[in-house]
Amino acid sequence: MKTFRGILGFGIAAAFAAATFLPARTIAQDTTSTTTTSSKAEQWIHVRVESKEDHGETVRVNVPIEMAAKVIPAINKDNLHDGKVRIDSKNTNDVDLRVILDAVRTSRDGEYVTVQGHDNDVRVAKSAGYLYIHVTDKSDGKKAAEKDGKTGAKATAAHESKVEIKVPMKVVDALFSAGKDELDIVAALKALSAHGDTELVTVKDAENTVRIWVDSKNVAD
Amino acid sequence: MLILAKAALGLGATMAMAGAYVFHEGVIRVEVDEHRAGGSHVHFWVPATVVSVGMHFMPKGQLNHTSEEVRPFLPALREIAKDLEKYPNVELVDVANARDHVRVAMVNGKLQIDAVSGDGDVVHLSMPARVLRDVADELEEKAPGV
Repeated sequence: MKTFRGILGFGIAAAFAAATFLPARTIAQDTTSTTTTSSKAEQWIHVRVESKEDHGETVRVNVPIEMAAKVIPAINKDNLHDGKVRIDSKNTNDVDLRVILDAVRTSRDGEYVTVQGHDNDVRVAKSAGYLYIHVTDKSDGKKAAEKDGKTGAKATAAHESKVEIKVPMKVVDALFSAGKDELDIVAALKALSAHGDTELVTVKDAENTVRIWVDSKNVAD
Repeated sequence: MLILAKAALGLGATMAMAGAYVFHEGVIRVEVDEHRAGGSHVHFWVPATVVSVGMHFMPKGQLNHTSEEVRPFLPALREIAKDLEKYPNVELVDVANARDHVRVAMVNGKLQIDAVSGDGDVVHLSMPARVLRDVADELEEKAPGV
């Protein structure tokens, strides 16, 4: 009987010890399943850079927006303080961005800026609650085509770089909600998170592709 | 005989409890391999508890100095460490080119950093996210004004 009690005692101690060991792994597994199921609600910001230079380079970054919104206010360096970036008016050539934004917000959908130049094409438009900024830099394309000894639109197009930015207007509003000469990054992230899946930035040229997008998956494509 | 059995039981239970306490925060794994002549090969596993407990025994001057140095980054580190625990299985950063590959990910609740260089050098580091938080908390405590 005493031996049985001894074995029972040891068993309880071992079970207690095992239970103390297990939680981390068990919780981890539980949380894994939670992540999979709750990932629909949680938004992630993804950055993918693919470069053909130096035999190819790939950069993939996946960050939960919620985490970014918590971490950014904790970084106080240079122009970034309390989750807000101070814009130096010298960099904006004394242009009041808030006034321009307000004008865009209150205007109807449409194409606001269209520049078709020798070196660059620029298009700024608002449509269905999104602000679109498209820039095509043709200067590098022309130089590369000249270097290759080729002429024509096709040869130039192969080397030109294209930047496409698509931002929900709500995010733009949140970004400029802090005050004059300040960008509220945290507010913008929260608005972005609430907005749902969206493609934000695409940059393409002959050598590099950059893509920034938001979705509810915790892995990049 | 009975006393011996009781003593063995007590010892066994104490060992189990001590083991459970030491390993309850998980294990930190460090592997460094330099694949070249005279290159070092370091492989060790330590209980994560050693880090948080060890910090209590660190020379105060050294700890204060470290706290001062990392003070600007502590709030961010703390937030990251706290939030990482919510994402037990995710890839955070992956940078690869023809020669090198660096990957930072959460795997089974552990922060895993893997770096492989074109020279054949390999570094694998794995630590429970909780350790990061403990370190940040401890350093924050020693760095007043954070």
